[in-house]
Amino acid sequence: MSLQFALEGVVIGLAVGSIYALIALGFALLYKSTKILNLAHGELVLFGGYLAIALTRSLPLPLLLAFLLAIIGTLAAAALLGFAIERTIMRPLFGQPALSVIIVTLALGYIVRGVMVGVWGGDTRQFPPVLPADVIHLGSLTMPRVGLVSALVALALLVLFSLFFRYSLWGIAMRAAANEQLTASTLGVSLTRVFAYAWAFAAIAGSVGGILLGLWLGVNFALNFVGLKALAAVILGGLDSIPGAILGGLILGVVENVIGGYIDANVRFPGFSLYGFKEITPFLVILIVLMIRPYGLFGTEHVERL
Amino acid sequence: MSVRPAGDFKTSYARDMALLDIRFHRAGFGLLLLVLGLAPLLLGRYLFLLNAIGIFAVGAIGVSLLTGFAGQISLGHAAFMAVGAYTSWLATTRFGLPFLVALPLSGVAAFVVGAVVGLPSLRIKGLYLAIATLAFQFITEYVIIHTVGGSGGNVVPAPRVGGLQIRGETQFYFLLLPVWLIGGIFAANLIRGRVGLALMAVRDRDYAAQVLGINLLYYKVLAFALAAFYAGIAGSLFAHYNRVISSEHFSIITSIDYIAMIVIGGLTSLWGPHLGAAFVILLSQVLKIVTPAVVALVPAFGKAATSVREIAFGAMLIGLLIWEPGGLAMLLRKFKRYLDLWPFTY
Repeated sequence: MSLQFALEGVVIGLAVGSIYALIALGFALLYKSTKILNLAHGELVLFGGYLAIALTRSLPLPLLLAFLLAIIGTLAAAALLGFAIERTIMRPLFGQPALSVIIVTLALGYIVRGVMVGVWGGDTRQFPPVLPADVIHLGSLTMPRVGLVSALVALALLVLFSLFFRYSLWGIAMRAAANEQLTASTLGVSLTRVFAYAWAFAAIAGSVGGILLGLWLGVNFALNFVGLKALAAVILGGLDSIPGAILGGLILGVVENVIGGYIDANVRFPGFSLYGFKEITPFLVILIVLMIRPYGLFGTEHVERL
Repeated sequence: MSVRPAGDFKTSYARDMALLDIRFHRAGFGLLLLVLGLAPLLLGRYLFLLNAIGIFAVGAIGVSLLTGFAGQISLGHAAFMAVGAYTSWLATTRFGLPFLVALPLSGVAAFVVGAVVGLPSLRIKGLYLAIATLAFQFITEYVIIHTVGGSGGNVVPAPRVGGLQIRGETQFYFLLLPVWLIGGIFAANLIRGRVGLALMAVRDRDYAAQVLGINLLYYKVLAFALAAFYAGIAGSLFAHYNRVISSEHFSIITSIDYIAMIVIGGLTSLWGPHLGAAFVILLSQVLKIVTPAVVALVPAFGKAATSVREIAFGAMLIGLLIWEPGGLAMLLRKFKRYLDLWPFTY
């Protein structure tokens, strides 16, 4: 592995990883406050990407203005979707066993993806050229401009989210509910409202991830796979840890691009090749983490009592 | 407890312990066997539906044992099915073994793989286990594509039993039916016995079960291995029925279909997997027929047609989990209870 290859992998990996981190943040946020493992998170990513592209294309305005309006519209729609999911599907299932909730999120993913594909078809859709498609040189390394922009946006959002949780009343209420649901509830925190906000934030984080990935690679219905990569990131960081999700996303991006990319390009066996190894690196990461340290890097270790 | 038919008593311990305890149930099961036996005559060219239902019902019995009775979530059941299917393919094409050897062999191969996949279930549970099985699903798909399968399909020969070449739906049906029945009855007996009770104890509270002297590792691994065994048998049957197998047949979508089957059918019911498999297969088939007809009427509907199945499945799962978590089996039981006292329900 040449140094150049490794460095380039790290840079690209950090850029992609920052998007994973953002998506994983939505995941961890939701798990932390509601204890729901949202297997439909990839579909929320899909939702953001598709809707933003459709809005950007359909608004009869100058491109940049249309793009900005589209983003605002998409985020509002994502928040609404989050509220709607909580109200119609999750509230009746409050307190149900984990299996039911997992299956419901799977089914929800089916519905969201089905509607997306039904409305926009199965082809890859691209944003109109909002950002210049050139490459930025960092010393001897190159990187698409889109990558840099998305890394910066993801970083800004991560800071924004952490400030929200640190200082705003609702952020504090959500942390309280995450810490100990019943106690928070007796102290006047409305759990239903906390859950609704958690879903809305998860949908927003996912949608922004979808928009950024859409700017970079375009959107098609296979993008929901990214939700599973974000799952790997949160497992690595610890399901209920927000810093863990961010770090997990970055590590996953780097691992995928450096190790996965290396194996993809260089490892050959007689008889069969390992192309596409990059795509299953996240799952190997999941398995390894679950074997060695199931609660992840920063997650709280679950102690069970009889 | 539903009301029993009047005058139909259990008069001996043997009757009390029997799987079909009273005359009413025996007669009902006999009728069911008769209908199943005559199905090729009754269904005619629609027999392929029953074949598909049977294959998936065998697989779904496994999921129901694992998820419904042992409480372990698996999102990778299609991967076990793939293990069975490819074992059967290897056995019949590379090693030239007869089908009747390949069928149990693929079950055993899946059994072993299932035990290995089940090993971590002692350490990780609930959500984490679901994620691990999901990872196993994707890794299996990857392995199939990169080793045996490639991106194309593998051709499996038609099964031969003795000197008889199995061709066509009717012959395959009579090959499938005994496997299906034995699978169902075996599961029913298993659930009543020590193993089934232990599995349910593990489901309800695994540490409490351990305190009561149940070996957690043994029973969790056993649950996985048994579920995988059923899936392996289903995989082998599927391979020889479809005659072509590729990684696409055993994707995550099939795994989710299995989950859908047992949830729709009823998680903790012996009839659940059969009802669920029938419902899912029939629904897919109906949508396959209805959707093009609707598109022909309303061309604007064309784009949406591809995803109608997904949306319908999703909506059905959510609706059932919210309103009737017991599934079709519970609905049937409620209906029966309603009929017991009808029309004087007070």
